Amino acid sequence: MNSITFLKAAYTIAWLVYLGYLGRILLRLRRVEEEIKEVAVSSSSPAAENIRPGVQQRA
Amino acid sequence: MKKLALISIPLTLFLLALSSYLALAVAPTESTMGDVQRIFYYHVPSGWVAGLCFTINFLASIYYLWSRSPASDAVAAASAEVGVVFGAVLLITGPLWARPVWGIWWTWDARLTTTLILWLIYVSYLVLRRFAAGGQTQVLAAAFAIFGFADVPIVYFSIRWFRTQHPAPVIGGGPDSGLAPPILHVFLTNLALFTVLGMIYLVLRYKLQMQEQALESAHAQAALKGVA
Repeated sequence: MNSITFLKAAYTIAWLVYLGYLGRILLRLRRVEEEIKEVAVSSSSPAAENIRPGVQQRA
Repeated sequence: MKKLALISIPLTLFLLALSSYLALAVAPTESTMGDVQRIFYYHVPSGWVAGLCFTINFLASIYYLWSRSPASDAVAAASAEVGVVFGAVLLITGPLWARPVWGIWWTWDARLTTTLILWLIYVSYLVLRRFAAGGQTQVLAAAFAIFGFADVPIVYFSIRWFRTQHPAPVIGGGPDSGLAPPILHVFLTNLALFTVLGMIYLVLRYKLQMQEQALESAHAQAALKGVA
């Protein structure tokens, strides 16, 4: 293998890791937002209606 | 979420494309190592962002122990994970650079070993957060992070204290150190671009952490309602 192969491998892996991580965060964000909405909808209590994303509630 | 994706995906692509263009097309070819030296423009900035994230984790952990603020715990969790991702790129690109230049993938020299240990410390931190049971997980994680951070200065100074395989510092390393201006300009620009990239990830990951905390509370409230 010549040195260009190592250079290409390093840049390809770095791009894959960074883009893959971004995709993972965005997917997890979407999933959690959906789950919060589901919990809020399924519960009719005033406390559940007050649940807002990003706000820490007291249990 | 859609708004976040619409902003963060093009911005990340732009930052990665610009940093690659500068490293692969603008930076001059280094005379000793040739083109493979261009790994430097991703390797070092990745390490810099990892170190920055671990420092943020350290400060947020101290603040959490003092204040018990959920936001500071979220900052600590987010910064550790982003630091581990950038640290992984550092540890992958290092051997890919070492193999054609040194003739070996890895050696147990001071810088490489302490960096691997640092990465493993923060992987352990994330494992602790993920799997520890009970209400004291955040406190345990914060205490773990404060002690774990002790390895960060050791990694930084390792190439000053021990002269082993890894090169001596090229910036601020003494009278013989330094980079040629065209290399230095690209390097500093990539350092700035990677810092912005790291901060984008940190903000997104922080938002996710806060959402997960809100979800936990939502489940707890739903459970309480069920009991009542």
